Amino acid sequence: MASGGIATLMYLLIALNILAAAASLALFAVAIWVAVDANKLYAISAVSGKDDIFAGAWIAIFTGFAFFLTCLFGIYAALKRSRRLMLVYLFLMFIIFLFECASAITAATNRDYLVGNSNLVKKQMLQYYADDSSKGKQITDTWNRVMQEDKCCGADGPTDWLTFNSTYKAIYPGSYPWPSNCCEKLSNAEVKDPIGCNDGGSTLFRKGCFQYIESVLSRYTWAISWYGFAVLMLVFFMLLLAMVYYIQLD
Amino acid sequence: MPCVILSARHLQGFIPLWILFMRNKMFSCYRMKTNVVIRLVLLLTVCTYAVKTQTATPVLTPADLQAKITTNTVILKQPHCYFNVTCPACELWLVPALSSATSTFDADRTNINILSLSPYPSAFGPLFKNYFLTKVGLLSAFPCSASSDSLYFKVGENGNCTTINCNGILPTGSVDRFKYVLVNGSSIINETNWSDNITLYTPQNPESIYDGLSARSAAMIVITTILSVAAGLLLLLFFIMLCLFCCRKKDSKPITVKSSTPITVNSSTPITVNSPTPITVNSSTPITVESSEHIPHYDTHLINRKHPYDNHAYELERKK
Repeated sequence: MASGGIATLMYLLIALNILAAAASLALFAVAIWVAVDANKLYAISAVSGKDDIFAGAWIAIFTGFAFFLTCLFGIYAALKRSRRLMLVYLFLMFIIFLFECASAITAATNRDYLVGNSNLVKKQMLQYYADDSSKGKQITDTWNRVMQEDKCCGADGPTDWLTFNSTYKAIYPGSYPWPSNCCEKLSNAEVKDPIGCNDGGSTLFRKGCFQYIESVLSRYTWAISWYGFAVLMLVFFMLLLAMVYYIQLD
Repeated sequence: MPCVILSARHLQGFIPLWILFMRNKMFSCYRMKTNVVIRLVLLLTVCTYAVKTQTATPVLTPADLQAKITTNTVILKQPHCYFNVTCPACELWLVPALSSATSTFDADRTNINILSLSPYPSAFGPLFKNYFLTKVGLLSAFPCSASSDSLYFKVGENGNCTTINCNGILPTGSVDRFKYVLVNGSSIINETNWSDNITLYTPQNPESIYDGLSARSAAMIVITTILSVAAGLLLLLFFIMLCLFCCRKKDSKPITVKSSTPITVNSSTPITVNSPTPITVNSSTPITVESSEHIPHYDTHLINRKHPYDNHAYELERKK
């Protein structure tokens, strides 16, 4: 290959490395956002043992930052026109590529387990809401917050509490058919209309909470898996180019 | 005689208009005698009056409530306008009964102690009467004019109570029927029909919910397959690249240049030949090396002689 060709290849490789460094830094930031879990729905995935969406986020934090550093190293290796440095660069990038693949695939798969349909979330709610164990307390706090924030009741609706037995019904047998957080509350946390809510009137929240939970967990998953996938596709083509450059070096 | 038989409900409240309409219809279809028409009108008025007091049926509240039917309570429409009598001391009572016990109540209805015959705490069970009576309110509290869909009466409001006529909860998951009765003193003077069967919720065990994987989403399949293929491809190409360069490095054979024609090497820059193995140049034709730089020329015609610089002219004198 003529020396002009190698120079073009080198500049192209450097440009792609800069782009990949920026993209992987963004992946690092997005993964931190998912791991922080602003909507505090971690308990719902943790209690059922399917919290790999957040595990995928943690892996993506490390791989995002590692991609960034390795791309900077790749710029140096390309400028130096050194075979050895290019080989080290290719090897490191490949290892990080594998880890990032794992992160993207894990997040996407676990989302299907959690929110493919409302059964898992509903069963968890019926078994753990108002339970005294640590799992129960986590679930109770999460559901109380979700029901008041999103103005919803139950997984598919208030009838979930009627159609199934639940720990809540076992612990509070003579009380309302549904938890008091299903009702509109005043600013001092008292139920606005206890009798009306008990009878299922207009102060009871009618819609199910599953839509909200599903949308939040899906948003986290798509951030990790689809964006990770995009970064990986860019890195894949960049590595092909780097291999060609390595071959052309003398 | 084509007399359109309308049901009781249609007749209520529209009697004057209805009479006029029927009269006109009679005149348009047939030339009837007036006295027959008057007889018809009287008959229908009597029918309407009788319908009002007997065919009311308790129904579920039409209001938009989520807890109309729960596992052990029911919400019914309030009994406005069910009994068209004036009776200041009369009270409205409700009879909730299992659908299998309606005949038991109908048989006991005329008993003098009907109000306490089946107290609530011992009402339900395989050997018991499976109905009870509970007070709804005074008849005067439910006038026709106050009838509204948003007013309701909740059966089971008092929970698992202990008094004889309390508004207690029904058995979980049972099928029940309801009847409003008009009570004067301690005897029943009028009643509505039995309501339709109302089935309460039977709560299921949450363990029965299947929470395994429902289906794999398309996104997950796309991501997994494409990434696996990409990683595998990268690994393959990486190995090919490494193999390519390991092989090229060990390739160092001795350089052999053979030619039957004269070899000419011209260069404007200095020619450097490096080789790890000895360089052998064989030629049957004279080898000429021309260069613009000075090549030292060594005299080689006497190279096979042992002492090339001895002068033989002085040899004879040495021997003398």
